Amino acid sequence: MRPNLSRALQGVGMTLVSKLLAEIRTPFGQQEAGLAAQLSFWAAEESERAADRLVIETRATRELLREGLLLSGRARPAVEAALAAPPAPNLRISSLQAENDAVRKGLVELQAGIEDNPSPAARAFNERIWAELVESTKRRAFAARL
Amino acid sequence: MEAQIAKYLEAKLPAASVTITNLLRIPGGASRETWMFDAMWENEGGEQSQSLVLRKDPPASLLDTDRELEYAFYSTFWATKVTVPRMRWLEQDASVLGGPFFIMDRIVGCEVNTRLPQTPAYQPLQPVMAKNLYDILGEIATHDWTSGPVAKLLEPPSPEESWQRELGHWEAIIDAEELSPQPVTRAAIRWLRANPPPPAQRISVVHGDFRVGNFLYQPDASIHGVLDWEMAHLGDPIEDLAYSFNESWWWARDGRPGGIVDRETAIRLWEEASGLKADPAAVHWWELFNSVKLQGIWLKSARVFQDGQSSELIHLLCAYGLINSQDQAMLHTMGRAT
Repeated sequence: MRPNLSRALQGVGMTLVSKLLAEIRTPFGQQEAGLAAQLSFWAAEESERAADRLVIETRATRELLREGLLLSGRARPAVEAALAAPPAPNLRISSLQAENDAVRKGLVELQAGIEDNPSPAARAFNERIWAELVESTKRRAFAARL
Repeated sequence: MEAQIAKYLEAKLPAASVTITNLLRIPGGASRETWMFDAMWENEGGEQSQSLVLRKDPPASLLDTDRELEYAFYSTFWATKVTVPRMRWLEQDASVLGGPFFIMDRIVGCEVNTRLPQTPAYQPLQPVMAKNLYDILGEIATHDWTSGPVAKLLEPPSPEESWQRELGHWEAIIDAEELSPQPVTRAAIRWLRANPPPPAQRISVVHGDFRVGNFLYQPDASIHGVLDWEMAHLGDPIEDLAYSFNESWWWARDGRPGGIVDRETAIRLWEEASGLKADPAAVHWWELFNSVKLQGIWLKSARVFQDGQSSELIHLLCAYGLINSQDQAMLHTMGRAT
């Protein structure tokens, strides 16, 4: 659809800020309009990037699960389940999110197991997990700030 | 709603007729609906009026806390150096207004917003506000709660177990409410369990949400009402000090708690006011804990919005804006990101 969803939501936010906010008389109403505008800006960003963000993160996490399973030393059901599950069946955000949730659940389990392993290899691998977690927060951050 | 409040007050005052005017919902507050209004009535003394505030449980709240306990904490500090509004009535019957509520006096002529203290004109008063703020926190930390209303409602933890009680409470909330796995939060919880803080120096009242934005102040930076006691409990007083340091309250985005004071000064002020010591290891532990706690609140906000229990935009804002920010705060506290 054109204009694309990102631009459409930006327009909604701009209208709220520039035209409607000044017309609202109560502090609570002004707060709600301000929140609606902020959320529109965030939704604009997320609508454009969500699929890309989820695919990149899921791929990176899946790779960590594959490598880490060898180091973890014992059964990791969530890791194994995530690796055994087929990829998202389509490109809907809900499908990509479900796949992402599965691999991130595996990552929680994997990191807890790696932390119990004092070997240098495990410690080095844990640093890679931390690096991915730092990256994941950067991917999720919004440019439009509160 | 005016008519329902009037009818309620007619029974409580008592008065034959109560008139409610200027009913307005107060912005902010994701856990309770807060309304202000003026009540007018007549009695044998003539015409009476009072500015009041009503705090009501919304259909979906971020905090399943007991308003009886919140009421008790407010009452505990009435007429002490920890200024609070005077409590009037507590109503647990949800049929009156659609949810339990309490009514308190309104403290008029004060500001509550977080932006004013950041303005250039206000900067000379920031040290005054900071001293007042941490003096009050010192008073809360050393208050003798054992003979007050809170003692009847709460079993205090031991100094050794206060951290476990709080961490267990918030971990259970995260377990129940998370919509997606939270690797950073889970790593933080594991670290907290593996590295317990030193025992609490004493068991104190902990406000639980002590920060710039939760008190009423006047232009001279004097503080006239500490608000939002819905997360108050008994525990380690360092918890409150560390909570005030959380990145969520860096209103000037410059690393200063509340945007008004550097952290070393805040610690010194608190130690002077309380006579207690802020052990760096304890402060660090409680800082990370408070990020976990706040994450629990943001995850709950995401849950109630996703499940349709709430369509309040403040809940969506918490979910979209604050979950990732809290992850980043935890990474900073754990030394994993700059």
